[in-house]
Amino acid sequence: MDITAALDWLQSTGPAVQIRDSLFAFPLLEGAHVIGLALVFGTIAIVDLRLLGLASTHRPFQRLAADTLKWTWAAFAVTALTGVLMFITNATVYFHNAYFRAKVVLLVVAALNVLVFELTAGRTVKQWDQAPAAPLLGRVIATVSLVVWVGVIVTGRMIGFTATRAAAPESAPVDTNFEDLLGLPAPSGDVPAPEPAPR
Amino acid sequence: MKQFALWLSTTAPSVFIQEHHAWTIPAIQSVHIVGIAFVMGSVLMIDLRILGWAWVDQTLRQTVGRFGPWLTGSLWLLLATGILMVIGEPTRELITFSFWLKMVLVAVGALVAVLFQRALRRHDQQWGDSLVAQPSIKAFAIVTFLVWAFVIVLGRLIAYDYVWGSWSPAPRQ
Repeated sequence: MDITAALDWLQSTGPAVQIRDSLFAFPLLEGAHVIGLALVFGTIAIVDLRLLGLASTHRPFQRLAADTLKWTWAAFAVTALTGVLMFITNATVYFHNAYFRAKVVLLVVAALNVLVFELTAGRTVKQWDQAPAAPLLGRVIATVSLVVWVGVIVTGRMIGFTATRAAAPESAPVDTNFEDLLGLPAPSGDVPAPEPAPR
Repeated sequence: MKQFALWLSTTAPSVFIQEHHAWTIPAIQSVHIVGIAFVMGSVLMIDLRILGWAWVDQTLRQTVGRFGPWLTGSLWLLLATGILMVIGEPTRELITFSFWLKMVLVAVGALVAVLFQRALRRHDQQWGDSLVAQPSIKAFAIVTFLVWAFVIVLGRLIAYDYVWGSWSPAPRQ
């Protein structure tokens, strides 16, 4: 199966159709995605600032990492899941979006950065666990991490400005209120206006 | 409000942001998200300490001493970038239900953050340490976290204010 067919198939799956057809599934997925990524970057920054010797310097690194990184992974799971669900609603467009591709590259760099840490500074952690900052390589890795994750945020935000949502649902009828939206919105016989560009 | 928003959109700073919207809007929003991340990281750690799930080798005071200033500083950053977003796109922000509900919850969250830090500073060490044992403060920690999470969702819903149906003052396009 070539990539075009794979993307087409993704877009036609049940979850993709259901999210596209819902008025508020995509916005709520975005909300959950931002909660997840805020917790990912917020917790990673705590570890990186500790490596750099800029915060929590009195606390042993391993203890801080143990307290922090499990929440990073939990939040990353939420962010990845919501990201995948948003991707499948319009897979072809996102796949060809330059910012989406840049973001994926940055995520790979972030993963490799963690791998390099584990293979280098992470191996000698017992020697600098109590020190106020990590050795030079650890500090370089922490800086790369902070820069790359900010890059992930920027490219992620740019996707919203450059990729349009597929098959935008019709706007809610004028007399709809939030209670109605908690159930399935009735098909609008009203003006089928396209929604404003999401961003 | 509509007239205020329209007036605001004619002011020089607003015109500058609009004329350079290709980079100003994403840049401001990205800094805003970085600020959100610092708030959520800080709130999560303080709340986990209250719940006894992390930082247990540190007192509540030490934990708040570590994260409180980051929380407060980030809230100021969010206020600054938030104001820039309102200046840049007044009608998009101000003529929505999501924005105003978000502002109410932000006020609640910020007030809680300030009063909580102040209370910890004013009372003695024992008060801070016995505080974490109380069930009510644990529930309070969870509620505070949920308030900030809901603030994030509402921030995103500003772009999709139609989800509120007739509650939304945003003109249908």
